[in-house]
Amino acid sequence: MRAEDQNRAVAEVVSRVVGKVTKGGSQSLERALAETIYHERKRIERSSSSRSRAKQLSAWDRRRSQLVRGSDTVRRRVLEDLVTRFTREVLGNFDPKVHAMATRAVPFGLSALLHASSPQQLLHRFPQLGLDDRIEVNGAVDHARALQDKGTLVCVPTHSSNLDSIVLGYGMHEQGFPPLLYGAGLNLFKNPLVGYFMRNLGAYTVDRRKTAPIYKQVLKEYAGVALEFGYHSLFFPGGTRSRSGEIETKLKLGLLGTTIPAYANSLALKRPKPKLFVVPMVLSYELVLEAETLIDDHLQAEGKARYIITDDEFSSPLRVFQFMRGILELDARIYLTLLPPRDPFGNPVDEEGRSVDASGREIDISRYLCAAGGEPADDPHRDQEYTRELGQHLVADYLRGNTVFPTHLVAFAAFSALEEMHPQRDLYRLLRSGAEDESLLFGDLARRCDGIREQLLQLEAAGRVRLSRRVRSLDGGDLVVHALRSWGTYHTRPALSRRGDRIDATDRNLLLYYRNRLTGYALGRREEPCRQT
Amino acid sequence: MQADVAVLGGGSWGTILAHLAAHNGQRTALWMRNPQACETLNATHTNPRYLGETLLAEGITATTELGEAVRGTPVVIFCVPSKASRAVARQAGEFLTGDQVVLSATKGLEPESFHTVTELLRAETCALKIGAISGPNLAKEIVRGQPSATVVASRFREVIVRATEALHSSLFRIYGQDDLRGVELAGALKNVIAIACGAAAGLGFGHNVRAMLVTRGLAEIQRLGVKLGADPLTFSGLAGVGDLLVTCSSELSRNFRVGRGVAQGKTLDQVVEELGEVAEGVNTTRVALALAGREDVAMPITEAVKDLLDGKVAAQEILQDLMGRAARYEIDFDYTAEVSS
Repeated sequence: MRAEDQNRAVAEVVSRVVGKVTKGGSQSLERALAETIYHERKRIERSSSSRSRAKQLSAWDRRRSQLVRGSDTVRRRVLEDLVTRFTREVLGNFDPKVHAMATRAVPFGLSALLHASSPQQLLHRFPQLGLDDRIEVNGAVDHARALQDKGTLVCVPTHSSNLDSIVLGYGMHEQGFPPLLYGAGLNLFKNPLVGYFMRNLGAYTVDRRKTAPIYKQVLKEYAGVALEFGYHSLFFPGGTRSRSGEIETKLKLGLLGTTIPAYANSLALKRPKPKLFVVPMVLSYELVLEAETLIDDHLQAEGKARYIITDDEFSSPLRVFQFMRGILELDARIYLTLLPPRDPFGNPVDEEGRSVDASGREIDISRYLCAAGGEPADDPHRDQEYTRELGQHLVADYLRGNTVFPTHLVAFAAFSALEEMHPQRDLYRLLRSGAEDESLLFGDLARRCDGIREQLLQLEAAGRVRLSRRVRSLDGGDLVVHALRSWGTYHTRPALSRRGDRIDATDRNLLLYYRNRLTGYALGRREEPCRQT
Repeated sequence: MQADVAVLGGGSWGTILAHLAAHNGQRTALWMRNPQACETLNATHTNPRYLGETLLAEGITATTELGEAVRGTPVVIFCVPSKASRAVARQAGEFLTGDQVVLSATKGLEPESFHTVTELLRAETCALKIGAISGPNLAKEIVRGQPSATVVASRFREVIVRATEALHSSLFRIYGQDDLRGVELAGALKNVIAIACGAAAGLGFGHNVRAMLVTRGLAEIQRLGVKLGADPLTFSGLAGVGDLLVTCSSELSRNFRVGRGVAQGKTLDQVVEELGEVAEGVNTTRVALALAGREDVAMPITEAVKDLLDGKVAAQEILQDLMGRAARYEIDFDYTAEVSS
């Protein structure tokens, strides 16, 4: 966020967050403070070094005594102070000049932006890590780009990898989009060089260690205020990288839900361009950098899965390099597909920014904020429902915008073969077994792939999925060969490997990960109704 | 015209809904296609074709102009046959705005797309505040002034509140709930079971068989409904078992009569000709089975109804097949499991 807007933003966020708390009266104020103190103390006790810990804890002790002994006025002041601190921490700087430089630097500085040590060394050694040829931005690009002057863009992509941010930053800039405001984990800012870049690329910080509900409120209010100020923004509705490999179907509606209040506020304040345009996006990779860690986490026993994973392949420059080299060797593309933009209520929007119905008739979307009969009415539950339905549209959009690669297709075919071999086994037992006599015949797998490919071609013709060039043009056998090669160029253990005319499922977990990308397309379903005797 | 409520569709149910609203003091617009029927209603407060001499409440203005009825009216109720719903929705979309509350009072699924009526409304208009009215509401009894209850389902509280304001009275109790999907599916699917009950009556069977068909029929339509996203409890409510009971008990219900006629040896075409119109259940049977196939849900009674309507197997034999199935567990923790030691 630009320096000149920051103070106003902070004031706005503090006023709204504190306002909402105090609307609930004395009890609500007390509870908000008590909660925050509790959560923050726990976080500090668990994490900080002993030197700063003592100092921080004593500050919290002071606040606690103010909570216990102070009047409501005092408590309110403490809360305002806390919220102001949180908000300032979240804020980032934004300098357009740095943005232009950074995206030119990306192909060479890829590692520099990724890891917290010795970027110079890596830069000197590998100048040929050309990102520009690998990323293909397609779909409703012109349409979305035309809207940047007509209102505020809210880009909502799928999330598979930490490389997503870089692909997005680079791809969107190349296509003539404005810089996007987005929340990035605090850990990425630890390296001062990376931090500088991130902040100047439009990132604000999200400290995922902070569990206090007020902090989350601050994040949401800030996102909303930024939208109202006209900052084009981005966030991942899935919340985190997909652990299972599936395209997200359960979206976090909190941030998505800031779009309607932002629109309503902009209307009320008679801002010149109050409209918001939600741009669904899908990132499709032939290989996913962190696939092994992600699927492993997905399969953890309940309760052991981690929401924040920081020690995965993304933090290893060597793995990242291997990944990029793999992509180059395979001549693979990374697709960033934009879907036709929608308004915050889910309706399609034309290139002029007008919301339209199925017959192309213009919709006056301000009416959605009114009670039946036409008077504007505040109704958060109604707005939440609108957002939920927007979310349903997004889920359908993601499926349409996904590009299927041979790795997904072949994994799906192989996994269904395994399921058919063991109809009685549940998923976990299926993943754990793997005797040699359970291998597949190459020819059989190739035939299955042909069958899946047929179904995918039909889906593509109906506009319900996208296919990579190879999936469109290669036959089953060649697809299997290519997928094997893909996995072999990068992954520690390939999902499948070949032994003469047999195929072994070498890493069933990884196989599951790639297979899961095709969940949601109803592939391989029976045509006949289920007749029982 | 400045109306509080608009009802689209001047058939028996649409007219009754308009009557209930007007009775509640709502200025009501009733959209009908037939200009003659419009004039008659405005002049005499009757709808002779569908409701005979029944005197309707004052406060209903009939019109053939869709825009006149819809524009600016806070509550709009669609009550046209499911086959015509998409076209009417598309036309009404011309006049609808995002603040209006829109309700569907039609029970049925669109033949090719399998969509419910509210899905059509969502697809063809800009309306988002959408709900459905469905329950055990036999037009004939309501018209005689007998009390009844119904469900208004919507994810938007405002829709339930406005519909209740418009229609709720001591003669017509409204129960609100938010499982829109379940309510619409229950309302459509129960017609299939009504055909089965009619067939049983046609074969001379009595209460035991009817109870068996109603209960096990409910189990299978609930199974399909849940697979399609419905709340199972909806099927235990007015829109589920309530409506099922009424449709399967009324010997005058169209679906019941279709089942009885075919079971007694007539062809489907003959029965339809005698009825004068197709019963929704005939189409819904086909749609239900297609959905069941897609979702991998077993629906033996529905399949039996399909076989019956196809006319290839005798009704007696169909029933024997149904009764000859292996014993099963009633509460469906694993419907496919057979009872064995």
